[in-house]
Amino acid sequence: MRTPLIDRRAFMKAAGAGFALSLSPRALAATLSVDAVYATAYQRRDGAYGAAILSEDGRILHTVELPDRGHDVTFDPVSRRSVVFARQPGTFATVFDHKGEAAPVTIASVGGRHFYGHGAFSPDGRLLYATENDFDNAAGMIGVYDATDGFRRIGEFPTWGVGPHEVLLLGDGRTLAIANGGIETHPDFGRAKLNIPTMKPSLVFVDRVTGDRLEHHELPPELHQLSIRHMDTDAAGAVWFGCQHEGPATERPLLVGSARRGEKLELVEMADGVLGGFRNYIGSVAANRDAGTIAVSSPQGNTMAVIDAASRKIVETRSLVEVCGLAPDLDGFRATTGTGETLGPDGAEWSHPDYVWDNHLARIG
Amino acid sequence: MARGNSPSPLWGGVRGGGVRRARLAAVFLATCLFLAPTLSAHAENALIARTIEGFVRPAYAAFHETTGRLDAAAEKLCAEPSENSLAAARDSYRASVTAWSRIEAVRFGPVTEQNRLERILFWPDRKSIGLKQVQAAIAEQDPSATDVTALGGKSVAMQGLGALEFVLFGTGADDLASAAGAYRCSYGLAIAGNLDSIAAEVDAAWTAPDGIARQWTNPGPENPLYRSDAEAMTELFNVFVHGLEMVRDVRINGFLGKTPDSDKPKQAVYWRSAATVPSLRADLQGLSDLFKVADFSGQLGPDEGWIAQSIAFEFANADAALKAAEAPPAEILEDGARRAKLDYARLVTSSLSELFGVRLAAALGLSAGFSSLDGD
Repeated sequence: MRTPLIDRRAFMKAAGAGFALSLSPRALAATLSVDAVYATAYQRRDGAYGAAILSEDGRILHTVELPDRGHDVTFDPVSRRSVVFARQPGTFATVFDHKGEAAPVTIASVGGRHFYGHGAFSPDGRLLYATENDFDNAAGMIGVYDATDGFRRIGEFPTWGVGPHEVLLLGDGRTLAIANGGIETHPDFGRAKLNIPTMKPSLVFVDRVTGDRLEHHELPPELHQLSIRHMDTDAAGAVWFGCQHEGPATERPLLVGSARRGEKLELVEMADGVLGGFRNYIGSVAANRDAGTIAVSSPQGNTMAVIDAASRKIVETRSLVEVCGLAPDLDGFRATTGTGETLGPDGAEWSHPDYVWDNHLARIG
Repeated sequence: MARGNSPSPLWGGVRGGGVRRARLAAVFLATCLFLAPTLSAHAENALIARTIEGFVRPAYAAFHETTGRLDAAAEKLCAEPSENSLAAARDSYRASVTAWSRIEAVRFGPVTEQNRLERILFWPDRKSIGLKQVQAAIAEQDPSATDVTALGGKSVAMQGLGALEFVLFGTGADDLASAAGAYRCSYGLAIAGNLDSIAAEVDAAWTAPDGIARQWTNPGPENPLYRSDAEAMTELFNVFVHGLEMVRDVRINGFLGKTPDSDKPKQAVYWRSAATVPSLRADLQGLSDLFKVADFSGQLGPDEGWIAQSIAFEFANADAALKAAEAPPAEILEDGARRAKLDYARLVTSSLSELFGVRLAAALGLSAGFSSLDGD
């Protein structure tokens, strides 16, 4: 089937590698406004940090410099702006317009809070929700920012857990799913994990309008060191999550699961050979809602795997050095790696050896 | 688009060059004669085998030896309380701290089982959980805290070097020199005995022929911990990268502010025993010794030798600066010259992080695990 997307790809390929560079700003803006493109944080080999917009054919179309290491990028389709959050315990988030129409805006976290690297927009693009740490009280918070008023911070509500990591807005437009990783940190001590023996991760559903906790899910007590960190939703509305195990490497807990309102968390059974390939660490989770698949990646184990959401079976595994960033692409997934590679769903490969792609890849169009 | 660096077979395996393979073979021939027969006879793992034989095993054995002495010193203190036996117990404590600091950057393997890391040292203790529990045990003379086995099952904050530091150096510790400190002493003795048994377990696990040492040196598809040489080498590399980060971000930044008005001397690890700087020196000396023993020179090209030289140079710089700063944390922070030395040592750890994480990693064809190293 030839979709318009593929037609554009063919056109881009025909236009050649220097295509984006040869465009006038206006023409580039036009390209960016119609093409499926991707955003990711990076570090350059010279040490500089930033966020990049990647084209479908693996080119770097645009970059934004960052003062320190970034983490995930969140896109607002209404204003077509993206936000890249600092990696925890960073204190900035940079809003950028990759059409080149406005200068980037940097949001600073307020006193007593730092960012955790993830956030979500409301469906109308008016509000931005960010996972934050109330570090003196070791309490997870969602900071609420008014995107129509210079991203002024207008409030916050608790995540009902310690060390919140990713936050997702569910399909109802109102419920937030929050992964409380359970790990206590304090900026006085960098990224040191302060409570490994007693950590207690959770997955919480919160009403973004009232801040009320709707549901609170935990794994069985023997899995209390299994940090729930990354999520995406499938077409049926289930939240899929990936975990990082903080206990001994000799333990082999299941690492991927799903959650639904009103039901218990359910972990995905995997053969030892597949599970062992993750080295107890899932770095990123992405759903392809059209294809009915979920991809998970392990940069520690140099592996990505694709799960069929309906049957909960692994349908594909791929070895890829330091793979982490994942985003849906056509009927498969696009992946980025810590060695500067980008892989398309058809196996096409592009390399930017001067760039080290960070953990996450966001589809922004 | 071509890659900038081909990974060496040591790290990546797939796209390596023949030159590095030849160098590895030479390293293997030169070193395999000294390897214990239980370890790998696999060329790429000679480097790992060297680190186990030459650093990891001796360092854990040394820690175990110091905890044995500490246990004996505590026993003597309780049997014959006096100023002298208290001083001896305190000296033994500091020796255990130094020995532990040399190896504590190795945060994988047996030391991660059964919460041993936190049971040896629960730190930082931001909410003073340990302090409160230790003070409560002493105030209530909790009999269960004086039993080694029972203590091992209690809160991690009650049973390690942090708890013992308060017993030996905290408010009321001078009681230990007389019969007035009898309960406090027996609790301290239990902590020392518990530390000694944890140290013995880790030592034994690393010495065992079929344990972690065999797994780390014999990667393969059936190995549950390391499926490839790259994974085994990454484990070693992580020790340096995380160890330097710990020294800088957790240990030094924890009490040395950006400016003097944000200094927090009582957030320094081991401030009560004035072992803060000795432990920092031991942390870096351990990493430096591990680097020497591992000997990456065989993996570096002729124009990359400067990296190893720079690393050695910077380790020496850091140690000289820390040596010049050496004093209890509060005194360092009040003395501009000493504080500046500590600040400089912090700067050097950043330079070392760059040398390992960027330069050495690139020379070895490794991306330094940007995402895989604790990427979130």
